[in-house]
Amino acid sequence: MLTLRKLDIAAYVIFIVLIMLAPLVFDPFWLNRIAKYLVYGMLGVAIALSWGYAGILNLGQGLFFGIGAYMLAMSLKLASPTSLAQGSDTPVPDFMLWNAEPGAPTALCCINRGSFLWMPFQSQWFGMAMGILLPVALASLIGWVMFRKRISGVFISIITLALVLLVRLVVIDAQPLTNGFNGLTDLGWLTIAGFEFDPYVVPTYYLVAISLALVLVAARLLIETRAGLILQAIRDDDRRARYLGFDVPIYQLFFFAVSAGIAGLAGMLYVVASEFASPTFMDLAFSITMVVWAAVGGRASLLGACIGAILINTIEATVSETEAFVEAWKAIIGLIFILVVIFLPRGLAGLSTDIAEWALARLPKGVAPRGAAPRRDVQPAE
Amino acid sequence: MIDVLFIGLSLASILLLVALGLAITYGAMGVINMAHGELVMVGAYTTVMSGIWLKLGFLASIPIAFLVAAGLGWLIERLVVRWLYGRLLDTLLATWGVAILIQQAVRLEFGLSFLGIHVRGLGPGLQNVSVPGFLQGTFTIGDLGINTYRAFIILVTAALTVLTWFILYRTPIGMQVRAIIRNPKMAAACGIDVDRVNALTFAYGSGLAGIAGVMMSGFKTVFPDMGTSMVVDGFLVVVVGGVGSLAGSVLSAGLLGEINGLVASGTNDILARAVVFAVVILIIVLKPQGLFSYKGR
Repeated sequence: MLTLRKLDIAAYVIFIVLIMLAPLVFDPFWLNRIAKYLVYGMLGVAIALSWGYAGILNLGQGLFFGIGAYMLAMSLKLASPTSLAQGSDTPVPDFMLWNAEPGAPTALCCINRGSFLWMPFQSQWFGMAMGILLPVALASLIGWVMFRKRISGVFISIITLALVLLVRLVVIDAQPLTNGFNGLTDLGWLTIAGFEFDPYVVPTYYLVAISLALVLVAARLLIETRAGLILQAIRDDDRRARYLGFDVPIYQLFFFAVSAGIAGLAGMLYVVASEFASPTFMDLAFSITMVVWAAVGGRASLLGACIGAILINTIEATVSETEAFVEAWKAIIGLIFILVVIFLPRGLAGLSTDIAEWALARLPKGVAPRGAAPRRDVQPAE
Repeated sequence: MIDVLFIGLSLASILLLVALGLAITYGAMGVINMAHGELVMVGAYTTVMSGIWLKLGFLASIPIAFLVAAGLGWLIERLVVRWLYGRLLDTLLATWGVAILIQQAVRLEFGLSFLGIHVRGLGPGLQNVSVPGFLQGTFTIGDLGINTYRAFIILVTAALTVLTWFILYRTPIGMQVRAIIRNPKMAAACGIDVDRVNALTFAYGSGLAGIAGVMMSGFKTVFPDMGTSMVVDGFLVVVVGGVGSLAGSVLSAGLLGEINGLVASGTNDILARAVVFAVVILIIVLKPQGLFSYKGR
């Protein structure tokens, strides 16, 4: 029997098969671009998880993305040939030497006051681990404070927004450690078990595509667990959930941290595909743009938000061949966004669900959709 | 020390100038207008344009900027915001779209650049506005040198704050606005035309942003992105001060401005802004309702 749930699962399967087949069609240049958009899609999943399912609109998702990116980029910077060619036995980032005081020892331990923080990043595994652990730890800390104090709705958005701008300024200000505005460029390649992930080869694309597929499936399974259902109950009415005896902050905290971990992973993959990390990852505009993608795709649908991100960026890349159209495209995105928020709050995913329901209801035998929980019109908690 | 405090006061007045309009749209109407910064930008461009095309001076462009921004704000309210009352976060997202639209409209010269027509004063480049002579330079009180233009901004901000206070607390329409802040449904039940008052309030708040734009154009370069960072600052001021409280916004602007000035004098501007953000986060975590706020709604 055809049900909404089966259609939904079919959509996931089709999507994953499509991204796995992309290398058959595209040349390395486009493949690298698409890998970046898949990373954006992963950010869409992170947003949908916290916004659509937990009702937490995080306007600072760029913080976790940025941290993930910087953690891996620090390792890759040390692996870069230029870091090894600074007249020292151990790698030292070139920008540290440019800014070093005369006579400072050319070693990570003491070239400047904070440089010892870079030492563990000589191990790539450390950078990769921190790229997920640090966002999760930070999100847990912030979440613990916010959710214990029952801060909700717009105040969470404002706190996360102020936080990402705060960290961005600190990163820019800590110029000797982070190369400030310029960010970390000229990185080495991620190397796992002797294989170098050159951003323009097919295996790198698969690294991103498989990661996205895993994240998507894992997130989807997660929201169908008991914890996921309780989370949605909290989103719909946190007071009732509290009176039913659920420890509301724990659930919110858990999903907030998972969302941050996904964003951290996305940040790392972005560094692998684009070979730089910069404070622009923590710009206000980028964090809000992510939310735009998720809203257009469908805030309450993991796959929808993911596809929204990929779709918008792919269209943007195709129209951006002409300079004038880039600017016009931004205006169009602005307009689309206004219209989606007003008339299509559930985004493209909501629209396709409605169409699917309509089609199912008109099937012969009058098979009514069953099995799938009917999607309500999901409004984020105020 | 006093000069540092004056710089803080000057920063505070700039914050308040931007926040004043937001205090009204957010406080009174529950709308997070992310396009507020763009309304400031429109005010600044109005100054540029009226200088180029109407040969008007800096001061003469203040009322024009008010009207242009208020008109634009009225349009935004009628076309976008009025669908979204009660959906706070959605107003944030939709007005973000509006902000992008306004920015691109200026950058693309309302689409005329596609036809190869270029309007002087618009476009993606930087614009400058010259301030009349008597507002330039410095004057001294005692042994304290004061930048005349900064003093002028403080004066204008104070005047606008008093005017806004007067409208809110001493006029019939202000009473209606305050009634809507407390309880929109009850206000409607008492015969207040909530739709009309909302549109007027939004237009007034937007007009204030326009005036803020004129002031900004006097000491900053004018460019299409200039509003983006302002809206965040203004917004934090309003939230810290307490939604719907004019006095709260004034005090929190003072607080944040002075913190910014003091820290900047000890370290640098970037770190000072970071400290301001940290203080804001701390205050919101400790007192989510802001320093001053009405109880309940």
